[in-house]
Amino acid sequence: MASRPTVSIATAEGKASGATQPLPTVFNAPIRSDIVQQVHAGMAKNKRQPYAVSEKAGEQTSAESWGTGRAVARIPRVSGGGTHRAGQAAFGNQCRSGRMFAPTKVWRKWHQKINVNQKRFATASALAASSVPALLFARGHRVAKVPEVPLVVESKTFSGAALTKTKAAVALLQAVGAGDELVKVSKSRKMRAGKGKLRNRRFRQRRGPLVVYNPETDGKELVRAFRNIPGVETSSVFALNLLQLAPGGHLGRFIVWTSSAFEALDQVYGTTTTPSALKKDYLLPSNLVANADLARLINSSEIQSVVRAPKGEARTKRAHVQKKNPLRNKQVLLRLNPYAAAYSKQKIGQQGVDGGKPVRASEHFHKTLNED
Amino acid sequence: MAAERTNVSNDLIWQLTRNQNAYLVRRNAGGGSQLSRDPLNLVNKHSFKYAGYTNNKAIGVHGNEEGGVTVITKKPGSSQQPAKAEVKVNYGPKTATRKIYKGVADLTAKNGYRADLREEAVARVSAIRRSQKPKKETPAPKLRGAKARKAEQEE
Repeated sequence: MASRPTVSIATAEGKASGATQPLPTVFNAPIRSDIVQQVHAGMAKNKRQPYAVSEKAGEQTSAESWGTGRAVARIPRVSGGGTHRAGQAAFGNQCRSGRMFAPTKVWRKWHQKINVNQKRFATASALAASSVPALLFARGHRVAKVPEVPLVVESKTFSGAALTKTKAAVALLQAVGAGDELVKVSKSRKMRAGKGKLRNRRFRQRRGPLVVYNPETDGKELVRAFRNIPGVETSSVFALNLLQLAPGGHLGRFIVWTSSAFEALDQVYGTTTTPSALKKDYLLPSNLVANADLARLINSSEIQSVVRAPKGEARTKRAHVQKKNPLRNKQVLLRLNPYAAAYSKQKIGQQGVDGGKPVRASEHFHKTLNED
Repeated sequence: MAAERTNVSNDLIWQLTRNQNAYLVRRNAGGGSQLSRDPLNLVNKHSFKYAGYTNNKAIGVHGNEEGGVTVITKKPGSSQQPAKAEVKVNYGPKTATRKIYKGVADLTAKNGYRADLREEAVARVSAIRRSQKPKKETPAPKLRGAKARKAEQEE
């Protein structure tokens, strides 16, 4: 790396403040959607609460089988008389009001263990992806008016409880080009299909920007300012969560950084060679290839110099498209059998075998043949 | 992009997003067609060549409100600055269609900018211009027989 890329810091009005910040090393972490998806799937499971059907459900009768000989199936049947229930089959999973098949148990394996290193890899990967505009667009964020990705806003705007009002927070987001994103989120609010409506998940909506701050310098007042804006979430740099960095396991969350949070990233994650200050003995994963641009690699002089020249022309004539019968098609015959030209020119096919009459076998031959 | 970031490239972005992205429209119709809603996609087809968000050089052609054509291109140098990345060229409704063809063809194929998209870009301009033509009204049907006689009497 000749020069470390820098990121310019925006003012609260969305203009460039003139200050820049070198890009923290996390953003050069390898982007691995497979790891992110796997870790996300595990982490999403770790918030679940156990559920199960009642232990007793479908087992609360004194039914017993009638045995053979009564021309009915040997399933347990409800005893007694006087009600419709008597004589009906019970218990079995195929029975009406019987127990379900394989009743769910509260001791199902609800949670997943995820290796800490994998979790950190996934977080680093998701952070790196959040700095690629193409991935933000692919995730559906409306970031066309954002001056720069990653988007860093001066900490001056937040520190000392400077931003406590939601109105000011909305104005800030609009100034930095996230207005379209806010509109998209609030328009996306839809009633949830199904029973989730009754379970405190009444509406579903898109995720908007994630505001990442440094609680030590920015304070925590901004959390209150942002929390009532639809879709906007806040997170401390020291507690970044993959579920927020890659919702649904999809890379490329739109993140608004405060400048002190952005500065803190190198402290939180370290680099590929110097361990992180906050995570014990943690080194960022390094990329397997130094240059991810395949087209540039293939067209580089190093590769092209050892690759053999292409065979044929840029447009090669397609041979053997249709099979032709060499017995009828002279040109195809000649391609297969070059001798055919001379054969037909000399009319060898029309000539008889000119050996004349066959010669009678000699006397000696007959003698040998008939010898006993 | 490639100049600034070593861990990201157009090919990688395509591999990360080809199975799922915000622009992709998958339908069972047409044998599982894959279309794209990307504004920088000239043929609305989900493929690496035409995907506007993955390639750092891409062209989009759209009809505009005045009845003309707007051509959008991406600046390859400013891929990290989305607000600066798009360049719009507007053609008014009175610009000759062939002039627009020429402009679009030059924009795509000259100066080493995506010559492979020239034909599609011109074709899209043509389709947009055709759609912008005022619709001819169908003439009133000529009355015949009893209806014609009745109409004549009423006059």
